[in-house]
Amino acid sequence: MSTAPGAATTVRSAGGRRPRLRRREATLLGAVAVALTFGWISLASSQAGRATIGDPTPLVIFFVLVGAAHLALTWWGRRTDQILLPAAALLMGLSLLLMTRLPQDTVVQAIGPLRLRLAELQLVWIALSLAAATLIAVGLRNDIWLRTYKYSWAAGGIVLLALVFLFGEETNGARLTLRLGPLAGQPSELLKIVLVVFVAAYLADDRALLAGRDTRLGPLRLPPLAYLLPLLAMWGIALAIVVVQRDLGAALLFYAVFLVLLWVATQRHRDLVLGLLLFVVGAVILDVLFPHVRERVAIWLDPFASAQGTGFQVVRGLFALGRGGVLGTGLGAGLPGVGGAPSIPAVHTDFIFDALGEELGLAGALAVLGVYLVIAERGLRIASAAGDDFRALLATGLTLVVVLQAAIIVAGNAKLIPLTGVTLPFVSYGGSSLLANGIVLGLLLALGEGRLGAPRAETLTRRERLGDAAHALGDRVERAIT
Amino acid sequence: MTTPLHGGPPRIAPALLRVGLALVVIYGAIGAGLAWWQVVEAERLTVDPGNPLIAGAEQGGRRGSIVDARGVVLVESVLGGDGTYRRSYPHPEAEPLLGYISPRFGSAGLERAYAAQLLGVADATGDTGLLRKFRSEPFMAQDVRLSLDLRLQKAAMVLLRGHRGAIVAIEPSTGRILALASSPSFDADRIVEPGTGDTYFAALLARPSEESALLDRATLGQYTPGSVLKMVTAVAGLGSGRVTAHTTFPDQPAEEDGGFLVNGYRVIDGHHAATGARALDLVGAVEVSCNIWFAHAGLDVGADQLLRWGAQLGFGDAIPFDVPTAASSLDGGDGFVDDVELANAAYGQGQTTATPLQMALVAATIANGGTLMRPHVVDSLVDAAGHVTAMTPEVWRRILDAGQARVLEEAMRQAVEGPLGRHFAGGAKVPGVPTAGKSGTAQLGGDSEPHGWFIGFAPAERPRIAIAVLIEHGGSSSASAVPMAGSLMATWLGLAP
Repeated sequence: MSTAPGAATTVRSAGGRRPRLRRREATLLGAVAVALTFGWISLASSQAGRATIGDPTPLVIFFVLVGAAHLALTWWGRRTDQILLPAAALLMGLSLLLMTRLPQDTVVQAIGPLRLRLAELQLVWIALSLAAATLIAVGLRNDIWLRTYKYSWAAGGIVLLALVFLFGEETNGARLTLRLGPLAGQPSELLKIVLVVFVAAYLADDRALLAGRDTRLGPLRLPPLAYLLPLLAMWGIALAIVVVQRDLGAALLFYAVFLVLLWVATQRHRDLVLGLLLFVVGAVILDVLFPHVRERVAIWLDPFASAQGTGFQVVRGLFALGRGGVLGTGLGAGLPGVGGAPSIPAVHTDFIFDALGEELGLAGALAVLGVYLVIAERGLRIASAAGDDFRALLATGLTLVVVLQAAIIVAGNAKLIPLTGVTLPFVSYGGSSLLANGIVLGLLLALGEGRLGAPRAETLTRRERLGDAAHALGDRVERAIT
Repeated sequence: MTTPLHGGPPRIAPALLRVGLALVVIYGAIGAGLAWWQVVEAERLTVDPGNPLIAGAEQGGRRGSIVDARGVVLVESVLGGDGTYRRSYPHPEAEPLLGYISPRFGSAGLERAYAAQLLGVADATGDTGLLRKFRSEPFMAQDVRLSLDLRLQKAAMVLLRGHRGAIVAIEPSTGRILALASSPSFDADRIVEPGTGDTYFAALLARPSEESALLDRATLGQYTPGSVLKMVTAVAGLGSGRVTAHTTFPDQPAEEDGGFLVNGYRVIDGHHAATGARALDLVGAVEVSCNIWFAHAGLDVGADQLLRWGAQLGFGDAIPFDVPTAASSLDGGDGFVDDVELANAAYGQGQTTATPLQMALVAATIANGGTLMRPHVVDSLVDAAGHVTAMTPEVWRRILDAGQARVLEEAMRQAVEGPLGRHFAGGAKVPGVPTAGKSGTAQLGGDSEPHGWFIGFAPAERPRIAIAVLIEHGGSSSASAVPMAGSLMATWLGLAP
């Protein structure tokens, strides 16, 4: 909030801030560190059969990374939320424990001369994720480039989607992975952020103009065309994702996030009802037309009927939950696998929550769900305190992307809804997922920063002039699209 | 935050509160769902034979023993010279019920179904999870004690020697299985023997399916039941009230010669002794096994009632039991297509199939005054500390009242001891003991020899054993199943006077 003209003289440099202690964050991070250290000792002791801390190097590296993020926020004087980082750090730390505990050869990747395995790779992704979060939280000076170029973002997203359609590789029957040389990623993880940016900008722009104007179609009163069209477009995109990518989870997530944002923007229950009706219609169409959707539903209704076939994974996941019981087997004491194979296929990605439920029990599982609710509360608080509609909708959407995705995969793991393969944010193994969620975390922290604002014209630096040039280019693209 | 103009868009913040509440509800539901699996269903999931925990525990420790009703060890773990346990099966007579457990060939029978209990994954003391992780020995192996009596089981296997078939003997008042024999069978010791296991198991698998020794014919074999199924029709008739003890069909005597025409299909009675112009009642029809009487009765009872009362007795679904069972069926699972199928089913032909266990339950129901006890072969679990978990006898279904059951008991007694009945089933008579039963010779079409069946119980008034005997392609039941049943019931009454 750069207000008074003299304010520029009180800050140390353009855009810089005085260091500010973040006491609550520090305390909470300390508590997280204690909990994770106990977990690490428990895991190492259980694996060694005697009391030991094992080789704590990965844990120490993780603490250094989180500490660095905390110090960066402190040094640059961020006033933003102090609970999101500890919450995410707890989840990431649990992820590190679980990845250390699973068979290390589950994933092996050569980076140059280094041959990294599951836990080491995950630590790399965690580092990237924290770096992204910190860079955005500290570096994001304004959100002009987010809100102004919404159509460019949307176009970029659609191009990304098209690339996956055309060149994607299949993982577990879903076409998700895009490979570029040695780098492989799942663009739908980034796509969800792009989509939220676009939707937030679109809805914020048209909100003031369009409240209360209905589209009339004969006797039907439908939402204003400006809402109806994107609703239908989103519905179509979600269907297309299911049909072409076979990615039920992403489709469900995109549609759900969009629908909630639409409702938050218009607050008309009719829109919500219409959206749900469209969802039901879409679900029925997909179920009737596509065997892969029907199969998912059949597994959901009775996985035990095909316990040795298509239902194997879900059944094995439920077995793990059952074995865990209330207090769990303890870290490292669950079943990594019999005869070397993981007892649940994809336990490190889609089914990490069942491994967590086995080793930490119902108590641990509920605690982790609680952490996601804390993230939800903080994110929505940032949204409701935001300076304008765009930021409020953006923060809401980003929060939902995390907590609804967690809800979708956990509910699928627990056979409450059909299983859809999405990752558990901050916990599942995977670079794309961790990076995307790191960006979300960074954006939320940036939006929580009260001083986030428009650039001051009088302090244009060379770098900002470069930025202007980029903006001009963006404007041209934007005009071409609209 | 811009102040909303009058009539402008609603403020966002209040809506976010509702979004937050909705998320709390969603997460609450997920938490409840997790509690369902981790608390309510935890036990059932953990003892599921498919749970890899079972295979994991298998490598770790000793399994409990399986012993018969008198404590004779049927299966045990023996410590070998290399410090590992090996499974030993000293009494192959009790296969395939006992099954086997082999790291190479998987598991079957009680060894599979009770893996969790034998390993102690499921606990006799009931604390399945909460504090187990604090115990140094997380699993306490349990012994499984059966209701089976090895002496009777051996006698049954001797009778079946040289035949393909099955015998199920059950204590009618409790549902305890006394013998459950299937022939041909296998020697589990040879399956788990590292040296010979491969060739032996390969030879077992190489057998043609109808000669399979791995198949438990008593619980999984589905056979055309023939005339023993008439007792099901009789139960349905009395139960539904559509037939009484005195029901006669005036056309029946005449149709003994010309056959009973149903929709152009002729139901015929080829073989029973001439009953002349006498119209048979229920007892008489059972005694001489009159197809025509039962075809009439089946049509009078009707498809719905026959299926309904059949389902009461266990038809239509796998019978809940300690090892897997196959479903028996009156209609082939697809309903009766017409009256011809219904009439044929009423005397055990048509699309009917039954497992020997199912037919033993029919006999046990009549023997037990119309009440069907839930069948079980596992009597109790005993852990190393001496805790006993007993499976108490349990009423499964009350099907007929005592008076109705007595009518059927009288009919079955006449079938064994009556002046006309004894020509068919007299061989099942236990000397000096009133005996009830029903024989069956199931026609299979083509050139194949019929299956021979007998179901019955003794002593007729206070039955201590109910039995079903099936001999595949045994020809006339009088020659095979009937005398075997008599011999086995006599053996049991001699063993347990």
